[in-house]
Amino acid sequence: MTNTYHPIPWETIEALLHRVQKPGRYVGGEYNAIHKPWETTDTHICLAFPDIYELGMSNFALAIFYDLLNAQPDILAERTYLPAPDMIAQMRQAHLPLYTLESYRPVAAFDILAISTAYEQLYTNVLELLDLAGIPLRAADRDATHPLIVGGGHGTFNPEPVADFFDVFVIGEAEAVFLELIDTWRAHRHLPREAQLRALLDVPGLYVPRFYQPTGEFGAVTPTDPATPARILKRLLPMLPPTPVRQLVPNVEVTHNRAVVEIQRGCTRGCRFCQAGAITRPVRERPAAEIVESASAILDATGYEEVALLSLSSADHSEIKPLLEALLDRFKGRHVSISLPSLRIESFSVDLADMLAQGRRSGFTFAPEAGSDALRRRINKDIATEDLLAVATEVFTRGWRTLKLYFMLGLPGETDEDIEAIIDLAHRVRRLGLDIGGRKTEIHVSVSTFVPKPHTTFQWAPLADRATVERRQALLRERLRGRGLRLSWNQYDGTRLEALLARGDRRLNVVVEAAWRNGARFDAWDEWRSPEAWERAFDEAGFDVDDALYRPRAEDEPLPWDHLHSGVEKRFFQRDYRRSQAGELLSDCRESCHACGILVNYPGTWTAEWECPEQGVGSKE
Amino acid sequence: MNDESPLQNPQSKIQNLRYRITFATRQTLAYVSVLELGKIWERSLRRAGMPLKYSQGYNPRPKLHFAAPLPVGCGSEADLMDVWLETPVDPAMMLAALTGVVPQDLSVIDVHAVPEDEAALSEQLVAAEYRVWLRDVAPETVQSAVTNFLNSDTLALAKRGRKYRGKTYDLRLLVEALHLEDAPAPWIGLWMRIHARPGATGRPDEVLKALNLVDTPRRCTRSRLILAS
Repeated sequence: MTNTYHPIPWETIEALLHRVQKPGRYVGGEYNAIHKPWETTDTHICLAFPDIYELGMSNFALAIFYDLLNAQPDILAERTYLPAPDMIAQMRQAHLPLYTLESYRPVAAFDILAISTAYEQLYTNVLELLDLAGIPLRAADRDATHPLIVGGGHGTFNPEPVADFFDVFVIGEAEAVFLELIDTWRAHRHLPREAQLRALLDVPGLYVPRFYQPTGEFGAVTPTDPATPARILKRLLPMLPPTPVRQLVPNVEVTHNRAVVEIQRGCTRGCRFCQAGAITRPVRERPAAEIVESASAILDATGYEEVALLSLSSADHSEIKPLLEALLDRFKGRHVSISLPSLRIESFSVDLADMLAQGRRSGFTFAPEAGSDALRRRINKDIATEDLLAVATEVFTRGWRTLKLYFMLGLPGETDEDIEAIIDLAHRVRRLGLDIGGRKTEIHVSVSTFVPKPHTTFQWAPLADRATVERRQALLRERLRGRGLRLSWNQYDGTRLEALLARGDRRLNVVVEAAWRNGARFDAWDEWRSPEAWERAFDEAGFDVDDALYRPRAEDEPLPWDHLHSGVEKRFFQRDYRRSQAGELLSDCRESCHACGILVNYPGTWTAEWECPEQGVGSKE
Repeated sequence: MNDESPLQNPQSKIQNLRYRITFATRQTLAYVSVLELGKIWERSLRRAGMPLKYSQGYNPRPKLHFAAPLPVGCGSEADLMDVWLETPVDPAMMLAALTGVVPQDLSVIDVHAVPEDEAALSEQLVAAEYRVWLRDVAPETVQSAVTNFLNSDTLALAKRGRKYRGKTYDLRLLVEALHLEDAPAPWIGLWMRIHARPGATGRPDEVLKALNLVDTPRRCTRSRLILAS
């Protein structure tokens, strides 16, 4: 079947390029792109990121799978991204289907189409991508002649709002399961789709939504037959796999245009709003010596002049300082800059940033998340205002002039006083900067609106309502004005949609499809989002948005994502939610085990490399 | 990227640190901006292990000078770029080292050393020749547009950029030659030679606009850069 698809001639693509912005997005040709022979390679996989090239090329998960799959002799993996609206219009007018950037083959020609669902605002783009590829949107309307549509990424920890459009979701770390998925599919490739999917039920960590149905009023789902697992535990690698070396080097500018080494996965801090921290447990570190060798090999293979050390909390790497010293030593005189995102508010982190600055001090970032000590305790972000000011003093003293402060608005238990505290804190930091560094000081305050996410302590909390959020944003705008102060915030329309899609259930599938048919796409983009398309979709489906967003969940009610298990137990989150309401902190779990569930759920996977303390192994609360 | 470069030419007595690279770009690389092409070159030269000379300061940049920016949408057959190194390298070895480490649609045609005190390429440039192939348009339409263009004495266009707001320039004066030429089907070939002097540089897309062919699918190639001899 797939052999009937030929590559799209270059001339056909070329004929559209003079009519669109940034045509370099649509042509491929990147250094380190992998071109394998189609006819003689058994399995053809298309990796898709359903947003524009600049974002998709910056997604490290896609880079990992591109490397992993192409390393298999009998698999070829090519890439596609969603074109921007101007190119989509040109392609539709020319009846040109979505194609991959390596062989310019139509996406529909591939055996498996793996689509990143990294975040919720990509969902209407998934439909746009399928439609542009000429693939029926709903799994029920597809058969074995269509690519198997696989979803992966953080969004799959509650994929229910788009469950009807995918054949299978990977729960957890796809590096651990992708090849098993492919092998199982191969063994059943000549069977009807239904039989293929039934076979995939036997692979741990795969969620096949077809074999589940909603039960009861809360949108939770249960298996439709006894062979279906009632709960799917995420897949997990005991240790970090080797980092990709021959990383793609884009020809056009992209969001993150640099080499990447993932130095650590998971986080022990337990911030109660943070989904990434919860679903990527346990912590696994890459040893410093391996990081240095990998970084060196990547820079040789790519020519990049910057390497980013990826993790959720860089300073928590146990060898971070010797690691940076070794990297600086290795790359001395070679014009390589090293970037270290996600630093904590502490003087040790300032030391680290200082080591890397090499004279260039573009801006320092703090993420206090909340304005007052009390609210920071509720979200388990253990930093006192006075300590924060002391660290800010150090930052300015060492020569930084720009300090970025990240906050969230609408956190559970937040009052107007907490907003006053943000304002007060920003002004105090600014005064410090002016006193130490002078008039060039700039404070950038970024306030995003909190969205309660599945598989977090705050998963039961309602979204803050529009009136409250917009009143508090107005307060910030009014009070954070003047020289050296800059404020940015989220539009509520986008937040509301994110919250709805993050916590929705299967009833949202018809709404997502209706919104897409009404023209909703690129929901993460302020300039392209269409709230009207969504409003019409809610009306058409008779969907009660307010109930979905603003009703606090009862602790004992079934949740739409209860059948997907991150390894962290719901009981742990329940206890932690009560601690939050009592204003109690929970210590870093490297110090003592809080029995989140990881250790009991992965007894055979545990290695001494995990940061879990010894006494936690085998313990139950 | 090794400290001791194997590419040193033991015979060289004077320090030759400025090198001229003649290169071609096609297909995918026709769609990058001049800034992006600069980055592509920087990374290619780093992969080749060339000891690039970087500027001083907080944001060091390699010293790379193009003769003229290539318009987005335009490839080239023989574009020129000067690059400065920290230590001398045999040009033939540089050429060999670059082979295999440049993107698929970039080819390196020649590398040779040039005197440090030679004028910048952009100052030596006088004109550029372009081959623009068009399709989905009748040859007669193109021919009559060309005839009209050549018969007009002057063609005032607004200057690009904010600081030139309200200022115009004469595109007709910038076009030295323009005619149809043979091209393989389905293309209709157009050949042009355009002034490329500092402060008086024309671009092929502006000529196409003047010819009313702006929406016509095309393949554009800069075939030659002409330097003052």
